[in-house]
Amino acid sequence: MQQQVIIELRRLVGAQYVMDQLEDRICYSFDATFRDFLPDVVVKPGCVAEIAAIVKLAGRYNVPITARGAATGLSGGAVPVEGGISLVLTRLNKIIDIDTANRVAVVETGVITQDFVNAVTQAGLFYPPDPASAKTSTIGGNIAECAGGPRGVKYGITRDYVLGMEVVLPDGSVVELGNKFDSEMAGPDWGMLLVGSEGTLGIITKIYLKLVDKPSAKQTLLAVFTSLDDAARTVSEMIASGTIPTTLEIMDNLTIRAVEDYLKVGLPVSAEAILLIEVDGSAKAIVKQAEHVIKVCQQCGATEIQTASTPEDIDKLWQARRAISPACGKLNPTKISEDATVPRSQIPTMVRRLREIAQKYNLKMVIFGHAGDGNLHPNILSNKHDHEEMERVEQAVAELFKVALELGGTLSGEHGIGYMKAPFLQWETGETGFAVGKAIKKVIDPQGLLNPGKLFNA
Amino acid sequence: MEHKYEEWQQQLVKCIRCGTCRSVCPVFQVADNENTTARGKVKLLEAVSEGKLTLTTELQARMSKCLLCKACAAGCPSGVKTDELFLSARRALAAQNGLPLAKKLAFTGLTYRKLFDLGLKMGSLFQGIIFKDAPNGRGKLARLPLPGAGLGQRRIIPPLATSPLRSRLPEINKVASPQVRVAFYTGCMLNYVYPDAGEAIVKILKAHDVEVVIPAKQSCCGTPAFTSGDYRVGRHLAEENVKLLAAGKYDSIITGCASCGAALKHEYGAIIEDPEVKQLWKELSKKIKDITEFVVSRGIKQDLREVRAKITYHDPCHLVRGMGVSKEPRQLLQAIPGVNYAEMKDAAKCCGAGGTFSMAHYDISRTINDWKLDNAEATGATILATGCSACRMHITDGLGQRGSNMKVVHTAEIIAKAYGLD
Repeated sequence: MQQQVIIELRRLVGAQYVMDQLEDRICYSFDATFRDFLPDVVVKPGCVAEIAAIVKLAGRYNVPITARGAATGLSGGAVPVEGGISLVLTRLNKIIDIDTANRVAVVETGVITQDFVNAVTQAGLFYPPDPASAKTSTIGGNIAECAGGPRGVKYGITRDYVLGMEVVLPDGSVVELGNKFDSEMAGPDWGMLLVGSEGTLGIITKIYLKLVDKPSAKQTLLAVFTSLDDAARTVSEMIASGTIPTTLEIMDNLTIRAVEDYLKVGLPVSAEAILLIEVDGSAKAIVKQAEHVIKVCQQCGATEIQTASTPEDIDKLWQARRAISPACGKLNPTKISEDATVPRSQIPTMVRRLREIAQKYNLKMVIFGHAGDGNLHPNILSNKHDHEEMERVEQAVAELFKVALELGGTLSGEHGIGYMKAPFLQWETGETGFAVGKAIKKVIDPQGLLNPGKLFNA
Repeated sequence: MEHKYEEWQQQLVKCIRCGTCRSVCPVFQVADNENTTARGKVKLLEAVSEGKLTLTTELQARMSKCLLCKACAAGCPSGVKTDELFLSARRALAAQNGLPLAKKLAFTGLTYRKLFDLGLKMGSLFQGIIFKDAPNGRGKLARLPLPGAGLGQRRIIPPLATSPLRSRLPEINKVASPQVRVAFYTGCMLNYVYPDAGEAIVKILKAHDVEVVIPAKQSCCGTPAFTSGDYRVGRHLAEENVKLLAAGKYDSIITGCASCGAALKHEYGAIIEDPEVKQLWKELSKKIKDITEFVVSRGIKQDLREVRAKITYHDPCHLVRGMGVSKEPRQLLQAIPGVNYAEMKDAAKCCGAGGTFSMAHYDISRTINDWKLDNAEATGATILATGCSACRMHITDGLGQRGSNMKVVHTAEIIAKAYGLD
């Protein structure tokens, strides 16, 4: 990249917000995926006007720009695959308004998800999306990757809370898509085009989010199954018969054993599956819901059911779910976490197929995730320094994508496409869908400078 | 690949780059720069181990921007031992690039125990030339800015004691019918800066029928040296202390300074090289106990005197995450009649001192400390108790600058009061 670009960037945002030393570029060369790509320069703008000026500058010098929030992504959305500018958006971190009367919040893109959730809770309302990285991730990143979370089964994912946003387009102009009203219907839902766009169509700078009522109570249950099919049947049956839990998490036998090995809290290591179920609502409503959940679990063959309603007891039941990550880390250092999602009725088939894939490629795989919306997280436990094994991992991943699509599912339930799944995107969209995606990208970003190597731009 | 890097690799490979460290690192919360996070530094060391980066002075500057508060290690879902890793990196960087002259001279000075002692005693006589009294007897202010020592004109530091702890008390403090015999490892700050807290510790121990030996030949624990990467000095001090303390065959070694305690109990393991001394240390490390831990294990005394005060407690990093002590000081404070104990928000978050960090990066250090002060003051407490002299110094400085009436004391001083020993 030309030195002139860096000189001009310094003039635009101030020298302390422009970093081009190798030691700093290395720190911005990765996210939570396992490959690294060095940016040529890291820039930390402080306002929309600066972002617009940077985008224009990049256009003039034909330099790629990759937007970056907290870089906790699991598909590689924030990694600058073709170098250029890493545009760090964390200085835009103000919660501008929490409007309780209209139940709308206005936030800047770099606000940390948990900070926002806390502010909303303080105001007496509720923002349901709960990605595992909430303590670190930014709202802008959640929208760009369309993050989900355990609560998705009842409350939906990030997309369901986005009313509108302010976006810097690739030509440096600033546009407002959608607005603060829930019932806006003036033309197509342009904002939706940006949700999950991974910074390939514009830089999201400000967001209008919908807020909902805070449930007054919740109850947590843990059910143990000797057959995976029984557990999966419980999931479908429960929802079909009228109870939509807030959370419906599944852990397979290998996950249970890994966690028990790590925590030693007496998990049933011979069980084929555990379901962690949470219901919320009014105190009255959750009693009924919990009764129904227990009934369905029993009917479907649960061998043991534990319940909890105090914060301490609830915490105990969640302990195992939260320990999955460190427990797996102890087995193997590199964890390749996928989020291929299938219709929930297909979960038993999906799990069986996943096991076959793991066996075929001789890989260690644990399966857990958000069973309620069919969003399983098969995690391959590997070592990135073992190149031969990593090749087998790549083949296994490709095959599991195929299976998910075959079963009527999708490549991504919540992690996005990034550079990791871009090569497979066409399998899901089909040729025409892919061509349309490319055409839209071409119209909005003719130079192809926004986040190259991702989505339709790969 | 060099042997050293193989050791790093075992930790580096475990990092899943999830970024949880971003949510716990106090320095990151001020600096908002990935080069201050644990995962950023892990990535830098990975680049070094793969030959993509060398041990540059730029890298050294980034590795030094860390409080060593261990919050990233404690919060890491993959269990990367970032604290050990970063110390090892500082060592490699100091070996490659050296240390600033001021640090080099100061650390070498630590190894000459008698000279160091004389210097600080002389210092207490002549400190008036450089420092003046801060308002309300809160400490000392530099008459001139001393950037080399990390002292601007607003920073309030405590004066050196005119008579250090180890000059005030005999080496052997006998009791009528001793139950056990312990060594009190005072460290430098309890000796030269806060001798009253040191005296309180000895009084409490004696009240528990404990014979207290304060070994005269103890040296600095070495923390300032080895955390800066100076392992030559760090190792020398560690080995001298271990040999001295092991020779006394004490039942326990009592510390009243979190950093000294954590060094003696854990950090020495990675520093001592002599196999015989290492063996001695392995036995010794089991006997290292913070004063609050020791008192609770002996059983809190009954019929305590009333202490009427609202008190809050700050967890020093090296006590809560270094020595694993957090329940005991609270148990003790809450057992005292009249004490209205008020837990502060984020009590276990670093106060921003970080030893030599606060000299090099005072502004960051001050911002982090201000969060601590806000949380402490929000409790409405009039006394803040803690178990680390460095925290005490830094928090006192902050409170002084904002004109607060809150007083900072060592936990042992409140216990001594409740025991009727003040």
